Amino acid sequence: MMRTGQARRWLVLGILVAAFIVLITNEQWWEAVFRSLFPEESRVLHPRASLFVLVGEHVLLVLYSSSLTVLIGVPLGIWVTRPGGRSFLPIVSDLTSFGQTFPPVAVLALAVPMLGFGLQPTVLALFLYGLLPVVRNTIAGIGTVSPDLVDAAHGMGMTRARTLVRVEIPIAASVILAGVRISVVINIGTAMIGAVIGAGGLGSPIIAGLVQDNLAYILEGAVPAAILSILVDQFLGNIERNFFHEMDR
Amino acid sequence: MIRLEQVIKLYGETTAVDGLSLEVTRGEVCVLIGPSGCGKTTTLRMVNRLIEPTSGSIFIDGEDTSRIRSEKLRQSIGYAIQSVGLFPHMTVAANIAVVPELLHWEKQSIATRTEELLGLVGLPYAEYVGKFPHQLSGGEAQRIGVARALAADPPMLLMDEPFGAVDPLTRERLQAQFVRIQQDLRKTVILVTHDLDEAIRLADRIAIMEAGRLVQHDTPETILSRPANKFVHDFVGTDRALKRLSRIGITDFVKPAVFVHVDGSVEAAILACSECSWVWVVDDANRLVGWVDRNSLSGASSVRDSVVRGDTEEIALANTATLREALSRMLGQGLRSIPVIDEGWRLAGQVELGDIETATSEARD
Repeated sequence: MMRTGQARRWLVLGILVAAFIVLITNEQWWEAVFRSLFPEESRVLHPRASLFVLVGEHVLLVLYSSSLTVLIGVPLGIWVTRPGGRSFLPIVSDLTSFGQTFPPVAVLALAVPMLGFGLQPTVLALFLYGLLPVVRNTIAGIGTVSPDLVDAAHGMGMTRARTLVRVEIPIAASVILAGVRISVVINIGTAMIGAVIGAGGLGSPIIAGLVQDNLAYILEGAVPAAILSILVDQFLGNIERNFFHEMDR
Repeated sequence: MIRLEQVIKLYGETTAVDGLSLEVTRGEVCVLIGPSGCGKTTTLRMVNRLIEPTSGSIFIDGEDTSRIRSEKLRQSIGYAIQSVGLFPHMTVAANIAVVPELLHWEKQSIATRTEELLGLVGLPYAEYVGKFPHQLSGGEAQRIGVARALAADPPMLLMDEPFGAVDPLTRERLQAQFVRIQQDLRKTVILVTHDLDEAIRLADRIAIMEAGRLVQHDTPETILSRPANKFVHDFVGTDRALKRLSRIGITDFVKPAVFVHVDGSVEAAILACSECSWVWVVDDANRLVGWVDRNSLSGASSVRDSVVRGDTEEIALANTATLREALSRMLGQGLRSIPVIDEGWRLAGQVELGDIETATSEARD
C-alpha cells in the first residue's frame, strides 16, 4: 500500500520529468533566452545535434555505465561478504578505491588505443569511476545486518542463499540504494568527459564552448545536466524511501 | 527423543564440549545451565547443526542427525534465541510465516496458524499481525519469537536464553506463560539459561555443565537436595532450601482448617478458639470472610461483629501457589498458618509453618 506522501512524491517527479522533456524538445526557447543573454554571439546553440539528442546521448552513457556499475558492483560487494569471498574483501576495497582515484580522463587515454573512440571507452571509464560508492555501500549495508538475524534465519532452516535474498539484501537495501544514488549522480557529471573522445552527450556543447569561448554553449550543456542530476537523484531517492517506508508504515 | 552420545567440540586447542552424553525424553523440558563458557550454548547449537560436533553423534528419534540435511533438520526444530532475531523488514505475520513458507504451506493454513499462535502467546491478532518488530516492546517481541519457533508445530524446541533480554517482571510473566503453554503442547525442549531460578521453575530435568562436561543431570528437586559434587553444591547456592520450596506446590500440604460460619454462635466460636487460638470465618458460600480470636470475641454479641476482616487476597493463598510463596506470606504477615482458597475464593484449608519446616528439613538430607 502506498502512502499518500509517497504517491505525491512520485506525482511531483512525473510532472517535473514531463516539464524537462517539454523544455528540451523546444530549442527555440533556449535560443531566445541565450540570444538575449549573449547578443554578441553569432551562434548560441551547438550545431552538432539538437538538445534532445544531446540529452538522449548523455542519458544512454549514464544508463550503460551505471547499469554496469550496479550489475557488477552489487554482486561484487555481496561476494566479498560471503565466507567464500571474504578473503578478497581488502583487495576489492583497494581496487575500487583505486578506480575512483584514477582519473577518468586517464582511463580514456589508456582505453582508446584498445577500444577505439566513442561510447565503449567512455562507459568503461565511467563504470570504474562509479564502482566505489556502490561496492562500499553494498559491503557496509550487508555489514549492518545483525549476526543474530543471520543466526535466526539459519536456525529456522533457511539456506545461505535464501538468507541472503530474504533477509540480508532487504535489510541492506536502503544503504545499497544510497550508494547507487551517489554513484549515478556523480556519473551524470563525469559523463561530460565522453565528449572528449566523441561519445557525445551534454559534454559536447560544453567542450565546444570552452574551445570557442562561447558561454551560451557551456550553459546549453550544463543547465540540462544539472536538471538531469536533480531528477535522477529524486527518482532514486523515491525508490529508497519506498524501501524505507515499507518497514516504517 | 534427543540423544547426545560422547559429543566433543574442539575449537583449535580449546575444548568447548568434552564427551557429553545426554538424553532428553519426549515432552520433557531439559534446561542446560552452567557458568559462562561451560559449553551449554555450543551444545544447543550442535543439536540443530548450527555447529558441527568434532566427534560423537546426536540422535533424534533414533536417527543420526548428521545424516539429515541440515536445513531440513532445522525446519523440524523450533529455534528461539535471546536476541529474538525477528526480521525488522517483515511484519509479525511474515516473521511467524518463515518456517511454514519454507515448508510450502498453503497461504490459508499459514494465516490460520498465525492467528492461533498469536492467541496462544496472548497477543490480540488484529492488533499485532501487521506490526513491525520495532513497534513491539521487548516482552512482545520475545513472545512473537516463541510463536515463530512454534509456527510449524515442531515436536522439538531449542531455546537459547529465550527470556533473557527482558526486565525481571516481564521475564516472570513469560516464564509463567511458557509453563502454561508447555502443559498443553508437551514439546521436547532444550533450554539454555544461566539463571538458576528460571531453570528450577521451567525444567523437568536440569543438566548442569562445567567446562564442557555434564556434572549432574537430574530433576530440580534432586539437584537441590542432593548436589552431585562441590561444584553443583556451590552453584545452587546456600539458599537451595528456599529454591527447593519453589518447586513444591502447596496442594500436598493443605490441611483441613477449623472454621466457623459468620452467622454461627459466639459460644461455638469461643470453643473452637480454645483449641487453636483463632479460627477462620466463612460465609454461606464457604467463602473466606476473615478470622476471629478470643480477643475479638470477648464480649461480642455475634460472630459477624467480631470478625477481623482482612484483605482476602493479602491473607489467603491460591491453591496453585508454591511453598515458597506460602512461607513468604507467613513471614510477611507474621502468621503461623495461612488459609488456602480455591478458584471460587472458597476456603480449601490451611498451610502451617511447621509443615514447611518439615519440608525444608527433608530437603536438607
